[in-house]
Amino acid sequence: MSASPRPAEERDALLGVRPRLAAEPASPEEAAEAMSAFARDKLAVAFVGGGTDLGLGAPPARLDAVLHTRGMARVKEHAPSDQIVAVEAGITLAALQRHLAPHRQRLSIDPPFPERATVGGIVAASAFGPLRTRYGSARDLVIGITLVRADGVVARGGGKVVKNVAGFDLPRLLCGSLGTLGLVAEVVFRLHPLPETSATLRFGGLAAQDVAETPPVLRDLGVEPAALAAVEEGGAFTLAARFEGFAPGVAEQVARTLARAGSGERLAGSEEAAFWARHDALRSAGDVRAKATFAPGTLVRAVEALRPLAGALRGGALVLHPALGIAFVAGWLDGADPAAAAIESARAALGPLGNGALVLAAAPPALRARVDAWGAAPPAIEVMRRLKREMDPEARLAPGRFVGGI
Amino acid sequence: MNDVARRLAEVVGAGNVVTDPAELLVYEADGLTHGRTRPALVVLPGSTAEVVEVVRIAREAGIPIVPRGAGTGLSGGARPVPGCAVVSLARMRRILEVDLASGWVRVEPGVINLDVTKAVSGAGFYYAPDPSSQPVCSIGGNVAENSGGAHCLKYGFTTNHVLAATVVLSDGSVVHLGGPAADAPGYDLLAALVGSEGMVGIVTEVTLKLLRKPEVTRTFFATFPSTDEAGAAVSGIIAAGILPAAIEMMDRLAIEAAKAATGLDWPDVGAALLMDADGPKAEVEHVSARAIEITRAAGALEIRVPRDEAERQLMWKGRKSAFAAVGRISPSYLVEDGVIPRSEIARVLREIERMAKEAGLRVANVFHAGDGNLHPLVLYDARNPGEEERAEKLGGEILRLCIRSGGSITGEHGVGAEKARYMAEQFGPDDLETMARVRCAFDGIALMNPGKVFPTPRLCGERAGPYRPHPAEVAGLAERW
Repeated sequence: MSASPRPAEERDALLGVRPRLAAEPASPEEAAEAMSAFARDKLAVAFVGGGTDLGLGAPPARLDAVLHTRGMARVKEHAPSDQIVAVEAGITLAALQRHLAPHRQRLSIDPPFPERATVGGIVAASAFGPLRTRYGSARDLVIGITLVRADGVVARGGGKVVKNVAGFDLPRLLCGSLGTLGLVAEVVFRLHPLPETSATLRFGGLAAQDVAETPPVLRDLGVEPAALAAVEEGGAFTLAARFEGFAPGVAEQVARTLARAGSGERLAGSEEAAFWARHDALRSAGDVRAKATFAPGTLVRAVEALRPLAGALRGGALVLHPALGIAFVAGWLDGADPAAAAIESARAALGPLGNGALVLAAAPPALRARVDAWGAAPPAIEVMRRLKREMDPEARLAPGRFVGGI
Repeated sequence: MNDVARRLAEVVGAGNVVTDPAELLVYEADGLTHGRTRPALVVLPGSTAEVVEVVRIAREAGIPIVPRGAGTGLSGGARPVPGCAVVSLARMRRILEVDLASGWVRVEPGVINLDVTKAVSGAGFYYAPDPSSQPVCSIGGNVAENSGGAHCLKYGFTTNHVLAATVVLSDGSVVHLGGPAADAPGYDLLAALVGSEGMVGIVTEVTLKLLRKPEVTRTFFATFPSTDEAGAAVSGIIAAGILPAAIEMMDRLAIEAAKAATGLDWPDVGAALLMDADGPKAEVEHVSARAIEITRAAGALEIRVPRDEAERQLMWKGRKSAFAAVGRISPSYLVEDGVIPRSEIARVLREIERMAKEAGLRVANVFHAGDGNLHPLVLYDARNPGEEERAEKLGGEILRLCIRSGGSITGEHGVGAEKARYMAEQFGPDDLETMARVRCAFDGIALMNPGKVFPTPRLCGERAGPYRPHPAEVAGLAERW
């Protein structure tokens, strides 16, 4: 039976923790079989998709087996006229987009590494890219889910229709749960039409204050960018706004935005793709990556709070998503003590900014030994622990990987 | 119970505990008036601290709690269970804080949906979810039911707009979920809360996302010989890559009713569409013109573009009043709420018509066509023996048709008391058991709104340990799976 696990190898390790076994199911059914077998043997198990977000959170405290999802990668159903797609969790984002493109549709989620990132991993890690500005994150686009519980039971939530309030919202609850509540085996997404055209405007030499003022200025102007991000270059920020839609609408928004700014340029052809690729690369660079969140109106103070961390890293840079109130700090570890101190001070400063937080998306062991990947346990931690106990009573799904040691 | 009422009165004030049978009448049902149960009492707390005390008293006395917002729900979600305390949030209606720089507002649960928009519209903002009941329904109820509305096709549902909530759980603890900052670390408990139909706790504060009003909105109204052509127009518009802000359909009976209620000069036709496009001006002008072309090509009889905002509002009034308007053409009616894949609209409407004929009843259809959210209104006359039962049976068969078509038994009204029995047809036992586990994480004793959503009420934690009867079980309010 192909669902039988094989002995694990070094490449199966998760944040340095090497399991004994690795399963590579070819379908959700085989995944459920594997999970039932793991349950019988009371094995601790973690799920791995494309491995692009494995640095998020803490290493598992115990790990007997990993389950790779890449073998289950079929498009189960694509209904173009209903703008929905049902896929197995292991399909990569790029493969899914290639399937959808001939129908002039897409899944409006754009995290880095689409050729490797799987949709199951995107859901489990709540991964996102600049398009979140307009389309929201996985939780805003997932409409149905099939999960395999720790005990091997297969359960569905949501469905195949965009609007549906029947039952508790398992699809959204699984978003960001990092494999600690169950295996995301299949996902149904809401799709969007591919835009007829897009255009990216670039504005260089900005201070944090200018970046902070951009979302309200654009709102006042009545234009609606699909993506808005700023990257740090040579001590100043370069901000990009991407407009998408029908050609007349895009042209008019571009013209109006440039006129209001009095500066800036429209990126031509390959320049546009190059800018967003650079944005992804900066966001994903280095061996230390942190995601900071804050109320969007507090961006200037958030940047101040994050400066020391960027400074404590070698090549440390900031990437800002001003409309979302999210910033990434990425760079190379240059002394664990100063980085740890900068993380703690950033957390203390972000907390008051509308319940802000800083979460590690990558960190070498030396840094992990000094700071918790998630920071202080959230106020509702007791309910979260109870939810974990309900879904995984034996604490076998990636134990210790999530907030508060869950 | 007198002792409980006395203790509650000490917390909330004597005037905020209702025990008089005549006054309790109002609370016997929500917007779904044909199922009625009298609660033991109604209590109206005025603050989070008072809610905590109310929950503690009810818990100690073993009295189930049924939270209630404005009571406009259409699935019996706020219908009392025997012997329960209804906790009405109607007194908690303050708008606590507005932060336009970050785009949010913090409110108490009794605040009326439309009042949120009114509070921020001067600054050019609004709260997007717009159930037809928005002038009267409350935010707490919206959170419980994950309310939608005509414009959720583009802007999403309540769950997409709730940033944070304060919730009192059945153990009397107060938990704070989310915040104005995105991606609060931990499980997305807000996702579990929104749409949980009062079964996880009592929401005492909610932080809502505010949106900037779109630069322009363009509306058109189109008439068709039948719902077939109207359905084809909807499909064509969506296939062209257009995402309308709203696209609503009405059939002949619904049009007739809306005209009778509002005096609109709509023609007698087989179907009508009402579409909004909103956003930046040039984009909207383009999209609107293109949608009108497609609508014409799909076989529209007439297309009307409102001359001004007043005429536009009138068109929307016709649509939004359609439910109530059906009262003009039928002494009684059931409001159903089902969802089907958008591409199935024409086929399912024909099937509903056939089923209605077979049952000897009329069905008016007024619905959110863009997301396939049907609202069949089953017309009947309760004075005719057996007709009400036939209507209920037809309503149930329509829900089953939605399930068979790959859809759902509810798009926005919730499962409540009314549709719990259909849940087992849409979901398997393992699906439902998994959902029940989520509820157990919040409310391990099934104190909050017992008996709703799940076809077979289930108690938590029976997987291990010796059997001990639960107070709700003893009272006959629940049973073990």
